[in-house]
Amino acid sequence: MTAASGTSRGAELPSIFGGLRPHARWRELGFLAIVATALTIGSISLGATLRARDPERGAGIPEGAFAPYGATLLAIYLGALLVAHFVQVLAGRRSDQVLLPAVGLLGGISLLLMERLPQNLGGQFGGLAQTQLVWLLIAIAIVAVTAVAVRSDAWLRLYKYTWAAAGIALLLLTFVFGRDVGGARLTLDLGPLSGQPSELLKVILVVFLAGYLSENRALLVEQSTSIGPLRLPPLPYLAPMGAMWAIALGIVVVQRDLGAALLFFAVFLLLLYITTARASYVAIGVVVFLLGSALMYKLFAHVQQRVDIWLNPFADPSGSGYQVVQALYAFGRGGILGTGLGNGLPTVGGRLPIPEIHTDFPFAALGEELGLIGLLAILGVYLVVIVRGLRIAASAADDFRALLAAGLSLVVGVQAFIIAAGNLKLIPLTGITLPFISYGGSSLLANAVVIGLLLALSDRGVEPPPVPRRGRIARLLDRGAP
Amino acid sequence: MDPFAASLWLLRFLFLAALYLFLFAVVRVLVRDLRAAAREPGTEAGRLHVLASPGGEPPAGAVFVLDAVTSLGRDVNNTVVVEDPFASAEHAVLTFRGRAWYLEDRGSTNGTYVNASRIEGLAPIGFGDEIQIGQVRMRLERPRG
Repeated sequence: MTAASGTSRGAELPSIFGGLRPHARWRELGFLAIVATALTIGSISLGATLRARDPERGAGIPEGAFAPYGATLLAIYLGALLVAHFVQVLAGRRSDQVLLPAVGLLGGISLLLMERLPQNLGGQFGGLAQTQLVWLLIAIAIVAVTAVAVRSDAWLRLYKYTWAAAGIALLLLTFVFGRDVGGARLTLDLGPLSGQPSELLKVILVVFLAGYLSENRALLVEQSTSIGPLRLPPLPYLAPMGAMWAIALGIVVVQRDLGAALLFFAVFLLLLYITTARASYVAIGVVVFLLGSALMYKLFAHVQQRVDIWLNPFADPSGSGYQVVQALYAFGRGGILGTGLGNGLPTVGGRLPIPEIHTDFPFAALGEELGLIGLLAILGVYLVVIVRGLRIAASAADDFRALLAAGLSLVVGVQAFIIAAGNLKLIPLTGITLPFISYGGSSLLANAVVIGLLLALSDRGVEPPPVPRRGRIARLLDRGAP
Repeated sequence: MDPFAASLWLLRFLFLAALYLFLFAVVRVLVRDLRAAAREPGTEAGRLHVLASPGGEPPAGAVFVLDAVTSLGRDVNNTVVVEDPFASAEHAVLTFRGRAWYLEDRGSTNGTYVNASRIEGLAPIGFGDEIQIGQVRMRLERPRG
């Protein structure tokens, strides 16, 4: 049998520190070198453009035109990526070597973008860029620690109902104590810290679904109920599907968070399809979701408003449609090749062109400065993350790990595509973040946990899966049987 | 053209080119990886990993690559011969039916167990489930690759 995922190529290095058995990861190092080169060129380009646009510049080339912009921040960031690489080398992990550089590139682009936006947009630790750097460093630390420290998945597998309860508790806490920001109740304040629980919730959801679906897979595949031409699994097993649908709609009603609802339901359907390989389940799910959405549109003003803006943002271009219209203009200014880093986003009358550009519209900002070509490259990097996750899933030892790996990578990928589609006015705009690029701690940290877990799952030295227990429902049925 | 403006242009395209260089390098690795996986015979539907076998047949630690039908029992004509005093000659059969694995007890004297509970007739099982015949314990695992 050749290497399951082809990730490990390096030779064993001599054991240096007692029990540590380092294992070289040349591929990862090579990719990181490309990432570092790309980001350095980006910061030089950004610096030269910004200095040239400086109003005090006369004719001729400005002072220090080709020095990298924000060189210290970039150096610290690249250093942290290198440390994460060496931590894995020293720990001797034979895990995936593509994910860290791919995510590192996205984080670096985020850093360049935040350096370039007005620094007074936000930030607990100094300006926008410094704060984002602090979060990025914490995120890299989480990736490295999770990748190295997690050696068994029992704590996820055995406590799935506990995790589900924690998730629901988090949802209720947000509902009761949450703070309304921009019409959606997404933010939870805990003393000095504030965060968006839905980011953490998506990880918990994937853990629960992987546990539930893998435990009851055999029963879900069986078909015993037929309604006309539709062949369905035994009815009790459809209950979780109904519950999931209700939760997604509940999030829309209570939290007014259309993005999270869409993301959760999409990931649920994808995992259901991976588990059962039945397109009919997905079709039913989509139909039910559309019916629910239509109902929501009829009943709730905030949903109606979002959809109306989407259908015709030019109805009120300086009011409710302002964000979306400005984003469309930004894409238009960018064109195919983009205006170049640092050259977009002229502030109109001291007002930012797109409100909340750093959290909700980074895709539009990048679209303006990097153009269609740059956006395609960035979407390509997200695709790489998805493909790698599915690859890890395909070579996993059992169903739980396979579903967990697939779910984790899909939750990041689907989120990226939902917000990108929202920025491009392909679907109604939702307030979720662009993973690894949007400004904000909750999003970066939750996605870092995802990547750390994927790295841990891809390692070929992890503990073998424990002996499964029979599914809860199956056990209940056993008890009832004669 | 102003040499400074020209170098700005150059830098812009260098950055975009570097992004694509990264993508190209990554995709090359992904494609090579997928090709390597495709070269392996892909007919495998699952594998059976022997966890414990006091009788030595099948040997503990052995891994059987499974086809769609695998018979288990003491008789030598079975796909997997289970040498155990509690195993029947034709004990059980593992089948892969399009989407899922099933384990069927063929009327054995001492029964077939999945995750420590005895099965009656045909039972759906999943990857990671543990099958026990007599004192021989085996685990159904996903195909690798």
